[in-house]
Amino acid sequence: MGILAAVLAAPIPPAEDLPELLISRQLAAAEGLRVGEVVTLTARAPGARSARERRTDGGGRAAGADVAERRFRIAGIYEPAPDPSRLGAARLEARLHLPELLALTADPGDPLGAESVTLVNVALADATAAPAFGRAVAARMPGLLAHATAGPREGVDSFVVLERFHLAIAIVTLVGSTIFLLALMVMLVDERRDTVAILRLIGLRRRRILLQVLFEGLLIAAAGAAFGVLLSIATQGAFNRFFQWRYDTTLVFVRITPRIVQRTVLLAVPFGLGASLLSSWSLVRREILALARR
Amino acid sequence: MRAWAFALRSLLRQPARSGLGILGVTAVGTLLFDMLLLSRGLEVSFRHLLDATGFDVRVMAAELPFAGPRLTRATATAAAIARLPEVAAAVPIAVQRATARTGAGASTPLFLLGAGIGAPRPWVVAEGGDLPAEAGNPPAVMVNRRLAGSLHVRPGDVLMLSGPCGAEPSALPAVPFRIAGVAEFPFEEASQANAGMRLADLRRVCGKDADEADLLLVQSRDGVAASQTVQAIHAAQPELYAFSNAELVAQFEQAGFSYFRQISVVLATVTLFFGFLLITALLTVSVNQRFGEIAAVRALGFSRRRVVADVFCQSAVLVGTGGLLALPAGFALARWLDAILRSLPEIPARLHFFVFQPRALVLHLALMVVTAVLAALYPMRLVARLPIAATLREEVVS
Amino acid sequence: MSAPQVMSRPVTAAVETRGVSKVFPMAAGPVIAVRDVSLRIDAGEYVAVCGPSGCGKSTLLHILGCVEIPTAGTLRLDDQDVSSLDDAGRSAVRLAKIGFVFQRFFLLPMLTAAENVELPQAESGVRRAERRRRTAELLEYVGLSHRAHHRPSQLSGGEAQRVAIARALANRPRLLLADEPTGELDQATGDQVARLLERVQADGTTVVVVTHDPAIASRAPRRLMMRDGRIESDAR
Repeated sequence: MGILAAVLAAPIPPAEDLPELLISRQLAAAEGLRVGEVVTLTARAPGARSARERRTDGGGRAAGADVAERRFRIAGIYEPAPDPSRLGAARLEARLHLPELLALTADPGDPLGAESVTLVNVALADATAAPAFGRAVAARMPGLLAHATAGPREGVDSFVVLERFHLAIAIVTLVGSTIFLLALMVMLVDERRDTVAILRLIGLRRRRILLQVLFEGLLIAAAGAAFGVLLSIATQGAFNRFFQWRYDTTLVFVRITPRIVQRTVLLAVPFGLGASLLSSWSLVRREILALARR
Repeated sequence: MRAWAFALRSLLRQPARSGLGILGVTAVGTLLFDMLLLSRGLEVSFRHLLDATGFDVRVMAAELPFAGPRLTRATATAAAIARLPEVAAAVPIAVQRATARTGAGASTPLFLLGAGIGAPRPWVVAEGGDLPAEAGNPPAVMVNRRLAGSLHVRPGDVLMLSGPCGAEPSALPAVPFRIAGVAEFPFEEASQANAGMRLADLRRVCGKDADEADLLLVQSRDGVAASQTVQAIHAAQPELYAFSNAELVAQFEQAGFSYFRQISVVLATVTLFFGFLLITALLTVSVNQRFGEIAAVRALGFSRRRVVADVFCQSAVLVGTGGLLALPAGFALARWLDAILRSLPEIPARLHFFVFQPRALVLHLALMVVTAVLAALYPMRLVARLPIAATLREEVVS
Repeated sequence: MSAPQVMSRPVTAAVETRGVSKVFPMAAGPVIAVRDVSLRIDAGEYVAVCGPSGCGKSTLLHILGCVEIPTAGTLRLDDQDVSSLDDAGRSAVRLAKIGFVFQRFFLLPMLTAAENVELPQAESGVRRAERRRRTAELLEYVGLSHRAHHRPSQLSGGEAQRVAIARALANRPRLLLADEPTGELDQATGDQVARLLERVQADGTTVVVVTHDPAIASRAPRRLMMRDGRIESDAR
């Protein structure tokens, strides 16, 4: 379907009977339009220039005789449904009744022009019959394709790829965090060298000391994971607000779900315990005198 | 013993701790380096793709190609633009979907790229010849490797091409073409079959007579800046939109992939903070454990500046070593991440998200230096303010 | 064995304090560690500073060594007023003119014995060849040439303290200050260290030793007894 390429605001008496349309919030903001104002739409190519430009070069003049140009009254302003695939694109959109859109965009030389649509949405009585419906359409009307909207997506989905990318970043971050934790535990254990020596001297067994270190590691990892989750919950609003502002969208970019919390804790705690075990093992397995002597 | 050698010895004294510190910085530096490659990689790669075609200006009927009204009277407009003194060549380009079929019955959907024939061509010949200057019968077509591979065709073979070129079904007969050569199309996707032909032949396949094109590719004359050509086109064809490659790159960044720049800035910041924390923690603990030694060397006559320099050098050795190791690791990780992102749909096969530029390396090193300095600040302060006598007393008592 | 530093000088003051006091501000009220001490130690003297714990002897040693800044009074070192020097100036004086020996040795564990001895020389800009020669000479002087390439962790307490003395002598200081140099050693090893200090003094270096050990103190020709921050007696 053709693109509505021009928006032109003009002072028209309110009594005039004009078709109505809705415009997106972004279009209203970009062109300074308000509800009740009248705009002119055309599919003519040069009309893609902004309304403001058109105003300055005597806007309102009729376009070529072969291209339709119609006036509409703005009935309302709507927030476009967030669409991640159009992130960063200015949502300069208008919604109007199909016959009016066709009248505006149809090729006058094409007798079928006023009958052409991009797609037809079909609501089936039985949603599970979608594949059979698709086959029936293909058989009766060659050249038409019917896709089930809830069916498997064709090709590679952008969001699956992005999720894979974020997962890869998360793996690198996890490696870095584990090294950080290991370094901290090595320092912590090294600081305890004397204490471990004394505990061993007074007769505590290696296993008992190891258990104590593991318990500490568990506490540190659990506290760290809890802090991390709380910090991300506290900062997710800021992240979302920044990106929503940056891309002028109501999309939610960060959402800490119970599943993410569960995954974080399930990853962080075993890694923490592993780091504790690894860092303390070299200390615990040493002979007492080697521990006491620096 | 110089501060550097002294720092090295101090770090080697606790190899596990220092090794982990360097590994941590390597991990941090790897991610940082990759984020720097990502932050402008797409832009650089896109610019490179645009420049590789040999055209420096694009003319369209709307602000974005393939997203607005098509250019009408394309041949006449291209000729008018080509006559401008700033312009060396103007080539109208149209893109349509079609189906290719061989005599053996194999078929595949593909994109047809119709171009006004002149020089330069909007593709690069990889095998065989280019489209001849004169129209032939059957007409000639250039195919990409993907199409040649999927239909097992070679230069000289005949290919049947048919619509539909729009959304509506078409009953037009297939048109036979002789394959002149195999070409690379700058913006082709890895899994996309493409064929290039004359604009007139494309219209024949699609059964459309209208002299329309999606855009005009314009090449400026030698010594003329793209911005001058854009101005000249604006003056001559005020209803059209002309963009230099630089302007298109800016538009592209704004419209499509600024997400990657944003995410790279956020991740680079978090990563640097992480590295800063790691080094600060390591150095602070190390300094705390060596208070007695530091007080002793101060008593022996080491200046405050010298002991502070020792701490800084330790930070620099940790961050420097980790930062340098991060470069090869970063290149390896970038290849992996690039492969992931390049599997995004509708991404040209020659477009990359992670692109090396000297600027990224310089920025990486500069950020590492800043991290080393910031991370060393607190432990350096501890050392600088260490009271010698009190510390010696405490060490004896403890 | 020849001494590494044999000098004959006229009898001048190696270090001299006038009305020196040191007050530490504490949460529970100021603590006066040294009260109005005026003291002259001539070049080449061997002085032991004794007294009960907390009497201020270590603080006095730190003041003499330009490590602690006196709250009141003046300090002259080699006829130079060092009371008003800034931190960098005091560091330079310590590096060039004073050697320190600590109870806990404070050898740098990542360096060998020879490297520990080389360290102050490197800091004062002595060339490498000269450093090596001087280090070998000093290790021989303290009887540890065979331990030159050992780390402190591989040395006994007595050996570590002898290396510390060699390190303190590295830059040919006028004044050697030792704070409880035998505090961590058994009697036999302590005697070895005490004999070494006597030899250092005999070879021309002024030696001031803070000690609890009456046996060590009795070997000094001059003994200062401190109590409550004051010099109670000065016996020669």
